[in-house]
Amino acid sequence: MATVKWPHFFHFSAPHSVVNTPAHRPDTRRSKSYGRSCVEPPSLFWQTPGHLTTLGHRIPTSRRAAKSHNITTKVDPEQVALLIKNEWKLSHVTPLYRFRHTQLKLYSKHLAAFIIAEKQQGVAVEVGVEAGFKVTFSAVLGIAETKEDAETVFIQVHSKPLFSADTPKAVWRGWLTCVNGDPEYLRSLPPDFVSLPLFCSSGPEYLTALVKSWFERTFDCSFGSLYLNSTMLNWLAALWTGCHPTSNIRYLKLAWNMPSQPPLDIAYTVNPQDAWELWNSIHTEDSTDDRINIEEVQLFMNGLEIHFFRHFKIYLSAGTLTKVSTALGSAHHDGKIKIGSSDYITTLLTLLTECALMKTPV
Amino acid sequence: MALLTPYSKIPELNTATVLLVENEEQFQSRLADAIVQQEKDINVNVRLARKLPLPVENSETRPRIDLVVFIVNLLSERSLQAAESSLSHLGPDYFLGKLCFLVTDARCGAVPQERLLSVRRLAASHHCPVIYAEHQTEDGITMTAMRVLTILKVSAGLSPVATTALYLSTFTRCTFPSDFDED
Repeated sequence: MATVKWPHFFHFSAPHSVVNTPAHRPDTRRSKSYGRSCVEPPSLFWQTPGHLTTLGHRIPTSRRAAKSHNITTKVDPEQVALLIKNEWKLSHVTPLYRFRHTQLKLYSKHLAAFIIAEKQQGVAVEVGVEAGFKVTFSAVLGIAETKEDAETVFIQVHSKPLFSADTPKAVWRGWLTCVNGDPEYLRSLPPDFVSLPLFCSSGPEYLTALVKSWFERTFDCSFGSLYLNSTMLNWLAALWTGCHPTSNIRYLKLAWNMPSQPPLDIAYTVNPQDAWELWNSIHTEDSTDDRINIEEVQLFMNGLEIHFFRHFKIYLSAGTLTKVSTALGSAHHDGKIKIGSSDYITTLLTLLTECALMKTPV
Repeated sequence: MALLTPYSKIPELNTATVLLVENEEQFQSRLADAIVQQEKDINVNVRLARKLPLPVENSETRPRIDLVVFIVNLLSERSLQAAESSLSHLGPDYFLGKLCFLVTDARCGAVPQERLLSVRRLAASHHCPVIYAEHQTEDGITMTAMRVLTILKVSAGLSPVATTALYLSTFTRCTFPSDFDED
C-alpha cells in the first residue's frame, strides 16, 4: 500500500495534530455552538473572569427537592393571590441598568405617560373606550430567597374609564422576579445592574409589547420569549409528583403532540397515587439527602412512557411533551405557566429563574 | 446476530454505496436525491433504512456498504434512542471511519441542550464525526449532500489523497470531550 502524505490542508479546529495528543487537553477554547439562539459572544468577553461563561455550560443535573413553604408568612397574602390567579406568559430579561427599587412611583408615572403617548400616536391597535391608564409598580417583598436576589417587582396597568364613576380595572399585570439565581453570576454583575431575569405577563398583547419597549428604552435591557423545553417540563412533573404526600396534586396530566399525519394530541392523565408510587420507587424518600438527579427524572418519565407503549404501542418519545399540569400548577412548552397553589411557588420560580438565566444571551 | 461488516463483499469499480439510517424517514429521501444528483463522476448508490439490523432477505443482493450515516433528528428523543440501538448491529470495522452521525434541527431553541450533548458524547466515544444539517432549505440539503459525498469518497477509497481513518480523525477529537461537563 502506498504511503500517504499527511494532508495538512484538512486541519479544521483541532488545535493539536494527531501525532502528539496531550493527555489532558488544555482549556483554550470553549465553543458554545449548540442549541443557543444567539450568536457566539464576542471575544471581548473572554477577557473577563470566566463567571459569565459558566452559565451556559452548567446545566444542573441535580436539584433540591421541592419544599413546601408557607409563603404567606413572608409575603402579603393579597399579593400572593394576585400571582396565583392568572396564566402567565414568560420571557427572559437581560440585567436592568440603574433600576432602583426606591423609584417605583416615578416609574409608574413614566410608564403610564408612555402608554398614553403611544396610544395617541396610533401605535396600539386596540380600539377601546379607555381614556387613560394608571400604572402601579409595587415591590413584592419576601419572594426572593437569597441575599443576592433582587426583590420582585409587580406591575399593574389599570384602565381609567371615561366616566369617573366606574372604578379602574386592571387590564394588564406583570412581574419581574429572581428567585435563587446563580449567586456567582449575580455577584459578577457590574454594580449598576440589577438582574431580574424572569418576566411574567398576563393581558393584551399590545400592552405587553408597550411595557417591554418602555423597559428596553429606560433600562437598556432586552426581552426574549422563554420556551420551556422538555427537560424543564420533565423536572416539573417529577418535582410536583414528589410533593404529593404533603400536598395532594389531584392529578398528573401530560399532553403530548405526535408528529403523525394528521398530528395526534395525546392527553395522558395519571392517578396521583400511582404516579407517586412510581416516583417513590425511583427516588426513595431520604431525609438526609434531598437532591434529585436528572437520571431519576428520566427514569420516571421513561416509566410513564413505557406504560403507555405497553397499552397503545405508541412511542411517546417520538413526539414532544407540550404541557404538564397538576393541581399545583401547569406549564406549557410555549412558555405559559399557571400557578395553582402558593405552597410550592418558590421551587417553581427557582426552576424558571434558572431557565431564564440560561437563556439570556449574556 | 449478524453484524454488518464492510469488508465481506468485493467492491465494485468506481462505485460507492452509502446507507442512510433514519428512524423518522423524513430527511433521508431528500438527502438521497440530492446526493445522487450532485455526483456525476462516480456511481453512487444510496440505500435507505429505518434501523439496523438490515433484513436478512436482501443480504445477498446488497452491495458493499462504504459509509453508514445515522440521521438523528434532535426534536424527538426516540430518534436518538433508535440510533443508539442500531449502533450495536454494526461490525467493528465501521468504526474506523465508515460511520458518521448527521444531526438535524440543532439550532432549534426548543430542543433541550442535553440531547445534542448526548449525541456528541456518543459520537466522540466512538470516534465518529458529527455533521450538522439544515434540512428545511434546498441549499441546506445540497450542502449536506456535498459533505456526505466528500466523506463517502474517502470511505470508499476513491480519493487518492486520504485513507478513511486518518482523514476522519481530523474531524473528531481524539480525547473524550470532558469540557462538556461541569467545571
